Order: sequence, then structure tokens, then C-alpha cells
Amino acid sequence: MTADVTPYKWVGTRSIRPDGLEKVTGRARFGADYHLPGMLVGVVLRSPHAHATIRSIDTSAALEVPGVKAVITRDDFPEITSEEAMSGESVVDYRDLSRNIMARDKVLYIGHPVAAIAATTRRAAEEGARAIAVDYEVHPHVLTVDEAMAPDAPILHHDLITNDPEAETRGPSNVGKRHFFDRGNVRAAFDESDVVIEREFKIRPVHQGYIEPHAVVADTDEDGRSVVWCSSQGHFLVRTLTATVLKWEPSRLKVVPAEIGGGFGGKTTIYLEPLAIILSARAGRPVKLVMSRQEVFQASGPNPGARVRVTIGANSDGTIIGAEAWMAFEAGAFPGSAVGAACQTVFAPYDIPNVGIEGLDVVLNTPKAAAYRAPGAPIAAFAVETVLDEVAEALSLDPIELRYRNAAEEGVASTYGPTFKRIGFKETLEAIRSHAHHAAPLKANQGRGVASGFWFNAGLDSTATVNIHEDGTASLLIGSPDIGGSRASMALMAAEELGIDQERIRPSIVDTDSVGFNDVTGGSRTTFATGMAVVEACRDVVATARQRAATLWAVDVEEVEWQGGRAQHLSGSKPPLTLTEIARSAAKTGGPIAATAALTARGVGVAFSTQICDVEVDPETGHVKILRYTIAQDAGRAIHPSYVEGQMQGGVAQGIGWALNEEYVYDETGRMENSSFLDYRMPVASDLPMIDTVIVEVPNPGHPYGVRGVGEVGIVPTTAAIANAIYDATGIRMRELPMSAVRVHSAIERRSDDGTRTPVG
Amino acid sequence: MARVHLSGELRQLAEGATVIEVDATSVVQLIDRLEDRFPDMKGRLREGIAVAIDGEVMANADYLPLGPESEVHFLPAISGG
Amino acid sequence: MMYTAPVTVDEACQLLASNSAAKVFAGATDLLPQAQAGRRLEDVLVDLKRIPRLMNLEVDDQGWTIGAAASAARLAEHSQLRSEYPGLVEAVALIGSDQIQNRASLGGNLCNASPAADSGPSMVVNEARAVIVSTAGFRTIPIADLVRGPGETSLEPGEFVAEFQLDRPAARRADAYLRFTPRTEMDIAVVGAAARVAVDDAGRCTDAAVVLGAVAPTTVRVGGIAEELVGSTFDEEALARCAALSSEACRPIDDKRGTKEFRRHIAGVLTTRVLRLAAERASEQR
Repeated sequence: MTADVTPYKWVGTRSIRPDGLEKVTGRARFGADYHLPGMLVGVVLRSPHAHATIRSIDTSAALEVPGVKAVITRDDFPEITSEEAMSGESVVDYRDLSRNIMARDKVLYIGHPVAAIAATTRRAAEEGARAIAVDYEVHPHVLTVDEAMAPDAPILHHDLITNDPEAETRGPSNVGKRHFFDRGNVRAAFDESDVVIEREFKIRPVHQGYIEPHAVVADTDEDGRSVVWCSSQGHFLVRTLTATVLKWEPSRLKVVPAEIGGGFGGKTTIYLEPLAIILSARAGRPVKLVMSRQEVFQASGPNPGARVRVTIGANSDGTIIGAEAWMAFEAGAFPGSAVGAACQTVFAPYDIPNVGIEGLDVVLNTPKAAAYRAPGAPIAAFAVETVLDEVAEALSLDPIELRYRNAAEEGVASTYGPTFKRIGFKETLEAIRSHAHHAAPLKANQGRGVASGFWFNAGLDSTATVNIHEDGTASLLIGSPDIGGSRASMALMAAEELGIDQERIRPSIVDTDSVGFNDVTGGSRTTFATGMAVVEACRDVVATARQRAATLWAVDVEEVEWQGGRAQHLSGSKPPLTLTEIARSAAKTGGPIAATAALTARGVGVAFSTQICDVEVDPETGHVKILRYTIAQDAGRAIHPSYVEGQMQGGVAQGIGWALNEEYVYDETGRMENSSFLDYRMPVASDLPMIDTVIVEVPNPGHPYGVRGVGEVGIVPTTAAIANAIYDATGIRMRELPMSAVRVHSAIERRSDDGTRTPVG
Repeated sequence: MARVHLSGELRQLAEGATVIEVDATSVVQLIDRLEDRFPDMKGRLREGIAVAIDGEVMANADYLPLGPESEVHFLPAISGG
Repeated sequence: MMYTAPVTVDEACQLLASNSAAKVFAGATDLLPQAQAGRRLEDVLVDLKRIPRLMNLEVDDQGWTIGAAASAARLAEHSQLRSEYPGLVEAVALIGSDQIQNRASLGGNLCNASPAADSGPSMVVNEARAVIVSTAGFRTIPIADLVRGPGETSLEPGEFVAEFQLDRPAARRADAYLRFTPRTEMDIAVVGAAARVAVDDAGRCTDAAVVLGAVAPTTVRVGGIAEELVGSTFDEEALARCAALSSEACRPIDDKRGTKEFRRHIAGVLTTRVLRLAAERASEQR
């Protein structure tokens, strides 16, 4: 851990988080903790087939079951036409979103909702579900990109046509969008290169692994207005998505944010909210819907699996002159995977003149993919960062040195287009190179690997309100759900601006009626953008406080400055006035003191991470143990160092699970075999060493405190760092994820008998 | 004059041009001018697109001003997690 | 559904005899997850943890008596049990997690009869006995005869296991248990291997046995181990032959936790390691 050195009084310190006590005592209320009088239990009936047409649904017997108060199907949902599908500048296809929430003519994965029931007890609701008769016409299904792209593959969507002018046929296919980007002449570059390395990779789907399943309580009144309590990564987004799917004006819907037990991107969409709302409207009573763990796995969006091919060409002096990537992502039942982002991030850390990138978005009969921490980037990085390791070896260059020589920096045109401003990539490389970890000795069967990664970070919109109370304390009204300690960071920034103790600031995450619009808590934007809104609102409050002091002193406001939480007269002739004193007399000097700032956050800083990992591989079993892990990341400025470290460690922990054990296992019918935390293997605490963090601070000039988003980039390089370490320990190049003991052992067995370090895997 | 860098699908629709100079003082004006010049681009520059102006990527850039030498990139909009 | 908590063995036997739909439980650490996964619970549940005899853990010159409902945590904390049966204690200390071990019991772990149960191989290799009670009295059987197949015991209706018996170990004799799991805890054995070893004062093997778990519907006693090892000093070649015997003895399945080939291979690897560990301990035992 870095020593905390901060030029500020509050920003950069480790305050106790405002929500800490209620979370550890169990008083915090999550989506499933809300109880309303008369509340009914909701249950979703889900498709048992991976691909089928729904011929008919008969709910009559279900409605006869005692205790059942409402049954809904596709007939209860408005149709969204293709023209209405893309509303505004959003990346969401509302028609697909609606069809994912409730199947229409077809079911496209096992777990796809076909009906929902609300009843007085869970048992009655389940009995009601069993009483619904659905007539399916089953079709063949596809479970991998290869199957989906095969010439005679069953087609999921008859209106899905690839946007490829060079496509031989313009008929429907399972390939949605084709992304491509190029610069310079990659083929010529490879011809000139001294070393060209091309490799293929296979990545299996993984889940974000949030411990809290999706949960929602909805209450719809007779006027057709609804209140929804749910955990999410953005209750305004929940309102927008839900209202659009239901074809309601957003003002008919109020969304109250519950505490959230993990999201990591998986809760930036909706599954249950429209179902709960319509059920409660039909039943005339509140309805609670909670997913079981099995439903979370079967029906909420995982991170796509993918096939990737990367080729890198370099000169013997270590200059990378050409790079090419081809990727096919498993979007699941509906198009819209993160393959576009993967195309943009794949070579982003490097300054490469000749680049060719192609990405395919492929649909198949698995749950629709959802965002997961830097969506798309970790898959691309797994491929690139292991190929770079091979290039370094071929050139007899240290892997960090290879990256350093080709590192992007300010003024370089990125491989996704725009020119970089001030960035901290080289600093993260240096931080790892100079870290004690880098030089520590290794024993037999142990190996070390490094890797780097990039993520954009987002700006987008935030609104925050600051209210000063009669006693000089402050409330912050925030519209960003707190998934990583952002509440504490807001209080620290507000304390810095107002000059008062952060314990006198109470931040609250409030509902969609109580604060202005906020984009999601995701995209590593919250401390940056919502923080900016909080700072701006506090600055308005300070301006007002100065004005009130001027009134009390009967002077011009230009003669008043704000220092250390007090109004001071420039001449020094008047005793300073604290915020408390000014607040107490607010009614006499102009009324309540409050301010709201609503903004689109500009000046986003992109993020880089470099990581180093030591593993020990048991040569007889293939079991990989993580011995030591160090992550360096440029955070711009760490507002609350503990939560920045937490984000870094969290990204690495998830990357370790992804690298070693996590994967979706499907049987031949398309059913997920391992839909529980026993066999969907996320690491537990005893599986991980202490993950050491180095917070590199290259302040982002675009933010008042220099913040760069930190939530996501930490997961990007991790799988590659581990793969490179496994190579160092065993001489085996693993090119499939996860690198479970079974696979590593099998690769060790296949290694050539002469014992040379031949890449196999 | 804004310098618009094109790649991928958009470059194909601009007859292979990699950089185009466009006289425009705002993004929405720039889009109008591009659509006038390359009618096939109609509709492609609005939905699901983010715009980078002088290195800063933004989702809702339509009414942002462009300077006399602004570097502009159109990128597929992406979402975070 | 009715919950009952008898305080004597007789009371519990009576409840079982008069209710064909009654089921005993101790920690419920398998029962509850099964119920949550949709399995219907029986109409009468009989909690065994209020019966002192079933919670007992005592030792005398004759041997050990372990109540079937005593918690794994309590077993693991018992320093004399740890020193006399380190492998058995290792096994129970691997069940689930710390929290699970506060509830889980030997009786439950064995009678749930999962092929991957951690306590099975150790109990069999140590030749434990189960004391089974009912209104008809009691009977004592070797542990190996308790489990018939996955989820199936040899208990008759109205019967349950009250306690387990283990002899006091001889000098220079020790056991060990190793298992292979992807995670360090909260995981289920891909392969489990228990060994017992006895040595003479020159360190030569006088007795050895290996029992495997998770590689067949029930535990597998690997034949030929004693023949390979008795008289040896556990040299590499002898251990390698034992590993081969174990791989041969497996009847594993392919499943999401491992392939057949992987399980056979790991059975061999663990056999070598667990025999070495037991041998080291046996030499140190007085």
C-alpha cells in the first residue's frame, strides 16, 4: 500500500464510510428487504427450451389456484416496433430489451421468462406457475460462436442482418453488427517485421458474481403510478428503461434506490421491474420479485464468451509496427455484446502505426450478455498481453521494457482514433518495474507474469443537491447508487469545499423524485462526475455563504473570502463567521442556503493499469496458486484511498476467478449445469493473497481534484498476467480461459517429451 | 475547419477517405454537412455513436462547439460496467 | 411440518417408529440447501442435537466414542483426537467452511452419503464402527457397510446412527487425509484420499491402507497397498506402484468438476502424497 500523502485536509484521507455501521449490523436495506402491507410474492415461469416458438400459453388453470392474484404473459406487454427500438442516443435496443424481459413469439434460452405470477405465498405462486400450460415448438439451438456462424445454423432472429457490405448474402444471420477499424497498412507492416506472432484464444462466459440477486418490490396505485424499490446501478436508468418498455411517461414511475450487494455492470439493466409493476397493477397490491441464485445464473446477463485471434509484428529493436485482431463475441439471445468496446481497447495502451481490428457480435441460445467491469476489454487484453509476452521473449526483451518502448502517451493518436491527453500508462509500468515484487526471488514451479490494460472511463450526467441545515451541517442529496464507497468520497470532497468536518456532512442516495437526473453508477464515472456536481454545488453554497456574511457585516461580497470553513473579511478586522453561524441566521439574511448542480461532466481521464503476478503450479495436478499480486493503476487522485484500493483489489480478485476457475458449463440441451456458487467457482478469501496496490497519481486536469475513474480497469490485464506467470512457471502457454487445474494438467501432459519450453496449450 | 477522422464503416461510406475537412462550428452542423456530402451516411452518425472532440469522448455531443482546428472522431458508443 | 427435539435416544427412536414420514437431522447443512433447491422436506423433522449421548465426545482405554451429531468444529478442536487421528480431524475440518463446521456432524456427513463426502475415506481407513439404534435395540457395523450408494445408506426404517467408535491407535501408527479441490475451502472433493500407516522402530512399514473418495459411487478401498508397502521404507518405486493401484481402482465419472482421466491421475498423485504424510506421522508417533 502506498503511504498516504495528501495536500488536502479531507480529500485523500481514510474516513469511516457513512453507510458502514448499518451494513455490518445488517440494518441496511437491500432490494429484498422491503415489506409493504398486502404484499404478494412473485414468481417467474421460465422456458425449459433453449430455442422454441411459443405456439400458445394457457393461464386459466393458474388463475384458479388459491392464493394466485395475477398472472401475466406477453399479452400484457406493449409492442415496441423496430422503429421505436433505438430511442435517443442510447445504445439500448428497447425492442430486444422488452423481448428479453418477457418472451414474445420465441424463447431463446433456457430461463427466458414466459409468464409471471403473483400470489399470497411462494408456494401458491409456484403452484400457479406449474399450472400454466405452454405449447412450444422446439427448434435446434446453438451454443457457441462456431455453431452460430456455421452455414446451416438455426437462425435466432429473422430480421437480423449483418451490416457487412461485403457479405455474400444479405439474408438473416446470427451475426449482428460487424465492427472494423484500421489504420495504415497492417499486411505491409507484417512483411517488414522481424518477428510476427499470431495466436488464437478461447474465452468462456463468466458471470459478474454479485452476491445479491436481483430483487424488486413494486406498488402500482389506481392512477397507474408506480413506486419501485430495487437495488440497481442507476435508479434513473431503471426508470427510463422500465418506462420505455412499458410505454409509460417516466413521471408515472418513482424508483427508490435500495442498497446494492454488488453489480459490476450486471445491474445496469432491468429484468424484473416491468414484471413486478404489471403484476402489481393487475393484482392491485404490491408485489415482490426476487431471483434465486439459479435464476441469476440462467437468466441474467453474463459476460460474453469469445474467440479471439491476435497478430503482432515487431522489429528486433522492440518497436511494434503492426497489430491485428479478430474477435467474435457471444452476445447471447439478443445482439449487443461489448465487442465494439473490445475493438477499441484492444491495442489502446500502445503507439502502433499500422492496425487492423475486426469484431463480430454473434447471437446464440444463451442468456443475453450484460456488462461486466470494463466490458469487452479483459477479453481483448487476455489475447494481446499474452502475445506481447511471446514477442518479448522472441526478441529477448524484458516484457515491461517492450511495453514501455511502445507505450502511448500524451499526443499519441490512440488505436481507437482520438489523440491522448495527459495519461499515466508509463507511470504504471515504472511503478511495477521499481516495485520490490519485481525483483523478489522465485522457487521451483513458480513463475512471474506482467500485463497492462486500458479503460476509457465515462463522464455523462450527474445532479447533486447540497442543503445546509440550521446547525451548519450539510446534507448531500445524490442520485448515484453507492457500489464502491462513493458516498464517503462525496462527503470528503464536500468537506474540502465547505471547509467543515466530514462528519458534519450526511450524504444520502435519494429517489428519482428527490434529486435531478443521474446517469448510472458504472463506467467508473461516479467519483468523477457526481463528485464534480457535488463540488460545484458546494462552491455555490460557499458563494452564498460569503454573500450572507457580507450582508451580516454590511460590506461588499468582494471583501469576503472563505477560508477553513469560515467567512473572513479581507482586512482581518472582523472576527470570522463559521458556516454554523451563517446558517443560524440564514432566515434573516436571505433564506435557506442550498444549491443544486446539474452537469454533463467534461474532462474525463482514461485509465491504465499494469499488474504483476507470481504463481506456483503444482506440476502433478496442474493446480495454480496465486502467491503474490501487485497492481499499479493511475487514479488521478485518490479521494478516499481505501476505496480506490478496494476497487483495484476487487478488479484483480474477479480477474483471478476469471483466470482460474469461472466458466459457464452447458449441457447439450443448453441448460447451465453449474448454476450455483459451488460449481460456478469464484475465489474465496483463502484463495487469494493480499493484493498489493500502488496508486499512481497523475492528476486529471479535467477534474477539480484530479480524479480519474478507477472502478473498472483493474480487471483488464489480470487474466493475461496470470497466463504469463503460468508460462514462466511451466513453459506452457495457456490460450483458453479458465486455466483450471484440469486444463493446465492436460497441457502439461501434452508437452513434448524432450522437455524444451515449447508453447503448448 | 474541423478535421474529421473516419474509420471502419464510416470510411467506407465516405468513399474511403480517412480524414475529411468540414466547415462547421458545432457537431450537429458537422453531421448535417457530412450527410449532405455523403447521403449514405444519413442516420449512421446519430444513433449509438459517441463523438470525440480533441481527444475527449462524449455521448451527447450534438450541440457542442467545434474550434477552428478541432479533431473529431466518430466512435461506436460503448457502455461501462 | 413438525419440528421435534427429543432429549433422549429412546424418545427419538419412538418418534421415528411412530412416523413413517419422520427424518432425523443434526446440522442440517445438507438438508436445508436441498430444501431450498426444491426438495420437499419430510413432515416430521427430528433434531438430534438436544440428545447428550449424540453430542458426546469421549475417550477411554477401550477407545473413542463420538456422538453422531457432535459438530465437526468440536472434533477439530479436540487436541487428543487431533493427535491420535490427525487424518480424520483433517477430513472433518475440510467440510464446507468454518461456519458450516460449527453445525456439520460426522453422522450427517456420512449418512447424506455423497460420494464426495470428506469423512468417508478417513472413517473407513481407520476401521471405525457405527452404532445404529432403533426401538428394536442397537447394532454395531463396520463403517464401510453403512453407505450403499449415492444418497443411500443401509439403515432400515426407524433406525439412525447414535455414535461412532474408534479403537485407540497403536504406537507408531498414524492416518492422513488429502483431497483435491480447485478452491482452498468451500469446495467439494474432486478426489479424496485417506491413508493409515504403521511402522516398526526402524521405520519400515508394518501396515498400510488407502481409501479413496469421490471416484466411485461409494468409498473405494484400494487393494494391494499393504502388499506393496509392508517391509518397505516407502521408497519412490513402491509409492509409484501404489499410485498406479489407486488409479486402477477408481470408477470415476466425467462431470463438471473433472474428467475420468483427471480423477484417475489425481487419485494416484494423492495416494503417493497421503501415504508419505501418514508415514512421516507414524514415525513421529510414540
